[in-house]
This record gives sequence, structure tokens and C-alpha cells, in this order.
Amino acid sequence: MKHRVSDNTLGKIKLTVLRVIVYAILVFLTFLCLFFFYLMIINATRSNAQLATGFTLLPKGNFFVNLKNAWNDASINIPRGMLNSLIIALSSAVITTYFSALTAYGVHAYNFRGKKLVFTFIMAVMMIPAQVSALGFLQLMNKMHLTNSFIPLIVPGIAAPVVFFYMKQYMESVLPLDVIDAARVDGSNEFRTFNTIVLPMLKPAIAVQMIFSFVSSWNNYFIPALLLDKAEMKTVPIMIAQLRSADYSKFDMGKVYMFILLAILPVLIVYIILSKSIIKGVTAGSVKG
Amino acid sequence: MKKLVAILMAVLMLVGIVACTTKPADKPAEQGKVFNIHAWNEEFKGFFEKYYTVPEGVTVNWIITPSDNGAYQQKLDEALLNQANAAADDKIDMFLAEADYIGKYVESDYTMDISKIGFTNADTMYEYTIKAASDKNGVCKGVSFQCCPAAVIYRKSIAKDVLGTDNPAEVQAAIDSWEKFDAVAAQAKEKGYYMTASFAETFRAFSNNCTMPWVDANDNLQFDPQITKWIEQTDNYIKNGYTLTAGVWDAEKTNEMFADGKTMCFFGPAWYYNFCMTNAMDPEKGCVGDWCIVQGPQAYFWGGTWLLAATGSDNTEMLKDIFETFTKNEDVCTKLVANEGQYPNNTKVAEKFANDPNWGNTMILDGQNDTAVFAELAKNIKWENHTNYDQILNEGLQNKLQEYFNGSVDKDTAMKNFYQLIKETYPNIKLPA
Amino acid sequence: MEKIQTGTAKKLKSVSYAKWGYIFITPFFIAYIIFTLVPQFLTIYNSFFETYRIGLQQVGPNFVGLDNYKALFTPDPDGTILILKYALNTMILWVAGAVPQFVIAMLLALFFTSYRLNIRGQGFFKTVIYMPNLIMAAAFSMLFYTLFSRVGPIQALLEQWGVIDHSFDFFSIRVSVRGMIALMNFLMWFGNTTIVLMAGIMGIDQALFESATIDGANSVQVFFKVTMPLLMPIFVYCLITAMIGGIQMFDVPQVLSKGDGVPNGTTRTLVMYLNGYLKTKNLGMSGAISVIIFIITGVLGGIVYKMLSAQYKDPNRKHRERKGNVI
Repeated sequence: MKHRVSDNTLGKIKLTVLRVIVYAILVFLTFLCLFFFYLMIINATRSNAQLATGFTLLPKGNFFVNLKNAWNDASINIPRGMLNSLIIALSSAVITTYFSALTAYGVHAYNFRGKKLVFTFIMAVMMIPAQVSALGFLQLMNKMHLTNSFIPLIVPGIAAPVVFFYMKQYMESVLPLDVIDAARVDGSNEFRTFNTIVLPMLKPAIAVQMIFSFVSSWNNYFIPALLLDKAEMKTVPIMIAQLRSADYSKFDMGKVYMFILLAILPVLIVYIILSKSIIKGVTAGSVKG
Repeated sequence: MKKLVAILMAVLMLVGIVACTTKPADKPAEQGKVFNIHAWNEEFKGFFEKYYTVPEGVTVNWIITPSDNGAYQQKLDEALLNQANAAADDKIDMFLAEADYIGKYVESDYTMDISKIGFTNADTMYEYTIKAASDKNGVCKGVSFQCCPAAVIYRKSIAKDVLGTDNPAEVQAAIDSWEKFDAVAAQAKEKGYYMTASFAETFRAFSNNCTMPWVDANDNLQFDPQITKWIEQTDNYIKNGYTLTAGVWDAEKTNEMFADGKTMCFFGPAWYYNFCMTNAMDPEKGCVGDWCIVQGPQAYFWGGTWLLAATGSDNTEMLKDIFETFTKNEDVCTKLVANEGQYPNNTKVAEKFANDPNWGNTMILDGQNDTAVFAELAKNIKWENHTNYDQILNEGLQNKLQEYFNGSVDKDTAMKNFYQLIKETYPNIKLPA
Repeated sequence: MEKIQTGTAKKLKSVSYAKWGYIFITPFFIAYIIFTLVPQFLTIYNSFFETYRIGLQQVGPNFVGLDNYKALFTPDPDGTILILKYALNTMILWVAGAVPQFVIAMLLALFFTSYRLNIRGQGFFKTVIYMPNLIMAAAFSMLFYTLFSRVGPIQALLEQWGVIDHSFDFFSIRVSVRGMIALMNFLMWFGNTTIVLMAGIMGIDQALFESATIDGANSVQVFFKVTMPLLMPIFVYCLITAMIGGIQMFDVPQVLSKGDGVPNGTTRTLVMYLNGYLKTKNLGMSGAISVIIFIITGVLGGIVYKMLSAQYKDPNRKHRERKGNVI
């Protein structure tokens, strides 16, 4: 009995020590991560002249001036840009995750001739860097008259090999095929099975990939910059680049930081919403299992 | 009263233009309703919106692509190559280009002879701005709304300490050749100052005085004596601590413009105040009024933006009109100087300011009439020996040599890296063995 | 039709459902062919031509066979084959960032999912660690650059402490530029990896952990015998995608090395090299580099995939069999 107690206390001490270490690591990493946000927020409160004088850890009083300047900029319509970015990022996140899950399910759940070949093929094309074929992509879009259109920024998301791969891997570790069999016995049509039974089971994976797709689409600069030039179609990163390459007399770094801050906000909100749904999705899944 | 006269003159001129365009025997082509302008920033757009009245019924489309990573030229090139197939309202009418790559467009068939649209170059325009916009047969393809003679901008307090005087004439006498400039650099060093704040500060003063192009007719790379001289000078300055290893656009350099800066001389044209000298104008740490401007050791120019007419434009009358407004319209040119801190591409307006005893720069200088200094310099600017390769070669040489000057690599490696850059960018250029 | 007995009908069944497999993967392939395959085919095709621009004047395209590839592998006067140098740079930069990224991410994923540790404020930490990934890489690098620049606060602080003198420059020393790039990549991606691994761990049936603990396994044993094998598919995913991202590394080194791979090209990555050729639309050389990048990625990806999935093949299959039949 006595022995057991001491064992217990030893375990408790161990656990406490471990907890202290874990929290220390977490606090350190949190500091590293937040420091840059802090810097950015501070910089967004400084005027261009103040920014040119170097560096400070204390906010200055220019926040609302910068906000007003950024929001009302005559030539760079940031609210419009945010709306455009939102439309593109949201649609592409939805399309990317849905079709990747669909494709992965097609490969995971069915046996068909050439299945292995399909998988190998997608794995192989995943390796081809995207920037590499950008020029070819641009030429093609010009020929198809798809410049100044959101289509080339959204629809290609249907074929996202990396997301497909994740979904496939995820299904391999968590999707039992007998669930599908059960659905079939119940007379469910294959497509409905996917939408009503399989998709909910993939919720954590979908939430994760939604965030990633949303963020990468939101921050994408290279391709949109080459495709979009009408002022009313521009996305946030193009606007920021435009501001940075502006005439120096109008080169207001305070405004640039405010733009970056504004650009991050929606992503942050989407992220916070989805990160809750990951946790929810997992709990729901484990109850069922 | 003066204003009224100017406005009257502008109106008269516009009437003149209208009269002119209705006169010709060959009937003018149908004019388009959409005017497309490609640009990489908002600078000219601002002037355009303030000082140009768009004809009724015409919509102006600004297609602004940032120059980040070469995106502007990529986008523009794509649009120009597609110009023939584009619908009339989608065709580019006008686009902007900088000094370092204007040749690329001027020498091509994608820009058109502006005499064909009825624009004649006025003798109030600076010769070099016309030459820059002309192809090798002398056919002019566009105009510039500015002229960019560049000078030496010095700190008065430091000059006083080093030379014992801050008077522009005496300072100019002390640095009117590179030998003298070097000697003053040594004096400045003794007093604990830097002569310049960037290893590349003097680059344009040399490179825009080259006597031969970077690449000859047979695609051979050649080093002009001016370039060699710049490398020698910089080598010497770095070794002796006369300058810093910062680039022209680096914060380390612009920080030297604060009141507590230790640097005596900066090299730049009129646009330099706004683009580079905001630190000097800082309300807390700046030093407005402690600056004067002189010709320096060698007259040169730096930069500038040109407006080029795109082949296939269906708005030729408006094109001509824009060109007239920003070069010949004295009222507009006057406003560009008075309100926008520009140096105009109009000798008459420039002379007016240069000779005006009440005109002086208090934005940054001590009230000195800098237009007078620029006007003198502008007479000597020559546009010679430029190639399509200048942008890559000028910037590339500075970037690669910076690594040598800051001690990361030896000189041979730096040059080897420069050659490698050329090989990657223009495989056709033959490098020295 | 669904009522057919199992066993004899097994073959029939798989045949009848096969068409659904095709239907489900069709959208992917249509989109892929239009938006990716055609441009990629163009890229590979172009790599056999001399084609670039001098100004607006087009040179070529002239068929040159494998000349572009030969040019890539021709050593320069002092014997360096540049593409290999840049490949090595890329690898060093990636490994330097990826090792801490994976170690920390795995630890954090375990911390967060551990019932015993019961970390409080998880929501907060999880949100925070992913945040650096939300900033555009170019903007983030800009911030980083100003921090470490000659006139930045870190230089000033270190000078004040007497650690360095004023001539010191973070951006002229190989180790420090590489270190900064690795640090940034780590900061930007460890949260991402943590989340993916965490979602993977949370997807594992809790009953398996419980039974292992009841059987007397300690936490290290649980990790290697239960967690890791079951997590392996997701882990492989993380590793391969991180590697692909690493090989395509561009924005961060581009900004931090002033677009030039300072010092002396030691931080120039493969895609920066490729980007240099895009300025003049040199589709031939950039196509050839793309093909090389593709081959490198393919080989490395294949090795990692084969290696890791072979090692954990058995437990994996067992798990699958326990959870359901293969159709």
C-alpha cells in the first residue's frame, strides 16, 4: 500500500515536471509565433516616417490614420480585393477538398482496372512543381480567353494531387470499408453513400485541408498577378505588391503593414472557425466508433 | 492673373489641337471609346487624373501591374504580342517604360511613329528624351513628361566642417572633378565622415557617361572605361572607408540622411527627394534646410518615365492630346514643377523657374533654387550607347560586386558570378574569355 | 442486386462497382488534363528547344535535342556544376528547417493528444502555432529581413552587448543566411505539420491506446508500437509534401537573399535558378530545369514512400483487416 502511494507520487512528480517542460516549450514557441504578429501590428500603428526611423516595441498613434488610408485608398480598393480573394479562396477550398475526397474515395473504395496505375500517376504528377509550368498555363489561358476570370484560379483545384494524397492516406488510416458495405446493404446509392456517410467521417481531414487550401489560395500571388489585371478583379496580394512597387513618394509603409494586417484577418477568422470543427469532427467520430 | 493667362493659353492650345485634327485632308480614322494604359505604378496616373481632361465618351482603363519579379514587363509583353488579335477596345493604346528598358519597346514594331498621329516634337523638349524614345532610324515612338538631370546633394553642416564652407559655388569648385572628389573624400574621412553612403552611389554618374554600349554590334560584352573607373573608385573608397557597403536603396544608406548621419554627399535627380530622402524630411530626426545641390564632378541623368504609343491604338487623337498636354502645355508643366516636385520636359517652363528669384526649394534644401542647377545640367545630358540589355547589366553588376565590396567573395568570383548571370539571361552575349 | 450472397458473388460485386471508381475519379482527370497536363507537356516539350527573348524579339524555337540538358551539366571554369550546387543548397536549406519542424511537430501533436498531460489552453496554442503560415511568405520574409538587417534591432542589440562589431552583416555570412531561411521555414510550417499529425492521431481508435496501456506498455512503447505504425500513412504524407515544398522553395530565400542567393549563390535554390530564366522567357532552359526538378522529386519521393510504407506494412494491414474487409 505504502509502496503504491510513493509510486503514485513519483508518477505525479514526473508528470508535473513533464508538464512544466511542455508548457515552457509551448510558451517559447508561442512567443516566436506571436512576435511577428506583434511586430506587424506595431508597424501598422506607425507612420511612414516613424517606420523609416527603425524599430520599436511600443505602438504609435497612427493606427486609425493608416486604417483610413488603407481602406479608402483611391486606386487600391482593398474591400473589393478582400471580397475577390474571399470568393476565390472559399470556392477553391470547397472545390479542392470535395473533389480530392471524391477522387481519393474512388481509388480507395473501389477495385477497378488501372487503379494502381491511377494512384502511381497522381503520385508522380504531384512531384511536378507548380511554378514550373506557369508560363505554359498562362499561354493556354490566353488562348482559352480565360484571363481576367476567376475560373483558372478556382476550377483547377478539382485536380489537387497533394490534397488527394492526404485524403487517400487519411482514409487508409481511419475509413473502415465495412461501413460502406453496411450502407450498400441498406440500399444506399454509391454517390449518396459518399456524401452522407463518408464525407462526415472525413470531417477532420476536410477541415484541415480546407484551411490549407484557403490559405494558399488567399496568399497566392504569382498566377493571379499574371492572369488578373482589371482593377475590380484584383486580389489582396496583387494589391499589396502594387502598393510596394508604387512611387516612393506615395510609398507609405504604414499603409502597407495595415494592408498586410487586413489581408491576414479573414484567414485568421476562417482558421479559428475551422480549428474548432476539427476538434468537433474528431469527437463526433470517436463517439460513433 | 498669371494663372488666368495660363489657363487661357491652355484653352487656346486645345482649340488649336482640335482645329489641327479636323483640318487634315485624309479623314481621321474612327476613334475608339476605350483608352487602355499599361503602367507599373500610380505615379503618372496621379498626374494624368489631375491635369488631363479625358474627352467625353471615352473610358480610360488603367492596367497596373507591379514590377515585382518582372511581372510588369511580362504582362505587357504578353499583351503586346497579342495586340493584333485583340478586340479594338482591348488593344493597348499607351504604355509606360523606364530608361533602363525603353529600348526594348522603341526598337520593336509594337510602338508607333508619333509623327504619324500628328505629334511633332517641340524644341522646348529635351533632346535626350526624344532620342531615348526613338529607334535607330530616328523614328520617335513616345515622349517623357519629365527630365532627369542628376546632381550632388550635400549636407551643408558636414561640408562646412570638412571644407570650411557650405557655399554651393565653393563646394562645387572643391569637387568638380573625380580627382578632387576623391581628395575631399580623404579629408572627410579624417574628420570622421563618409563621402557617400552606398558603394553604388556614384554608379549612374559613371554609367550614363559611357562612350560605348555594354554590348557591341557582334554581341560582345565590353567594359566601358567609365565602368572600370567606377569599379576602381569604389574599390578605393571601400578600402579607405570613404563609403558604406549598403546598396543604393538600402535602409543603411537612407539612415545616413538623418540629422545624426555622417555622410556628406548623395547623388540624384529631382525625383530623388521624394523617392529616397524621406528620412531627411523626418519631423523629428530629419535635417531639412541642411542641404544644398551642386553639379558635382560629372553631369549625368538618372531614370525617367516615358509614355509610348502602342501600334494598333484606335485612339490616336487622344494619344496625341496626352503627349501635347504633358510636354507642350506650359500650364500643366508649371504645375508639375510647382505642385509635384518634378523637373519638366519643357525648357521654357524650366527656365522660368530657374530665373525666378522667388523660387526656391524649402521642402528639403535651404531655399536654394535647385531648378536652376538642374536646368544647367539638363543641357549636357546625352542619350548614347544604350542597349536592350542595360537593366540586367547595370543592376547585375552592382549586385554581384556588392558581394565583393562587403567581403563575402573575392573580385574574380564576383565577376564570374556576373558573367554567369549574363549567360543565364542573354545566352547570345559573348563574354570575354 | 445488392442482395446477392457474399462469397460466390464477390467477383461480380467488384466488377459492378468498378464503374463508380471511374466515375469518381473522372472530374479529377478532366481538370488535370486541361489545367495541368497540357501546360506541363508544353514545358517538357520546350526543354528540347532553344527559345528565349531578347527584348521583344523572339529567338527560336530551334530544336536542339538534349543541348539544354548538356548545358545544365557542363561544369563552369572552376569545375562547379551549378545545377548540382543549387540542388545541394536546396537540400541543405530544407533539411535544416525540416528536422526541427518534424521533431517539434511530432512532440506537440503528442502533447496535445495526450489525456495524461491534459494540456490547458490547447485551442489557443493550436491557433497560435499555425499563425505564421497565414502571413504571405513574401511579407513575412520582409519582416524578418528588417529584423536582421544592418540597421535592424538584432544587430543593434548584439553590438550593444559587444557580441559583434559594426562591420558584421548577417547577410554576408553563409551560415547565418541559411540559418535564417531554415528558421523561417520552420516557423512557417511546424504548425501545419502539427495539425496534420494531430488530426491523424485523433483519427486513431482510442481503444487501441487503452488496450496497449492495459497490456502494460509504457508511453514510448505505445508511441513506437501503436501510434507510429497507425500514423505512418499521414506521416509519409507530411514528409513527402514537405519535401516537395522544400524542393520548390522560393519566396523565402528569394527575399532573404536579396533575390541573389547571397553570399556567393550559397542560398540560391533550384526554383530561384529556374526563375532567373523566366525573365527572358527562356522556355528551353527553364523547361530543362523543371524536368530535372521533377526527376529529383520523383526519385526522392519514391524512395521515402517505398521505405516508410515497407517498414510499417504489416501492422498497417492488420489494422485495416481488423477495421473492415477489403472489397
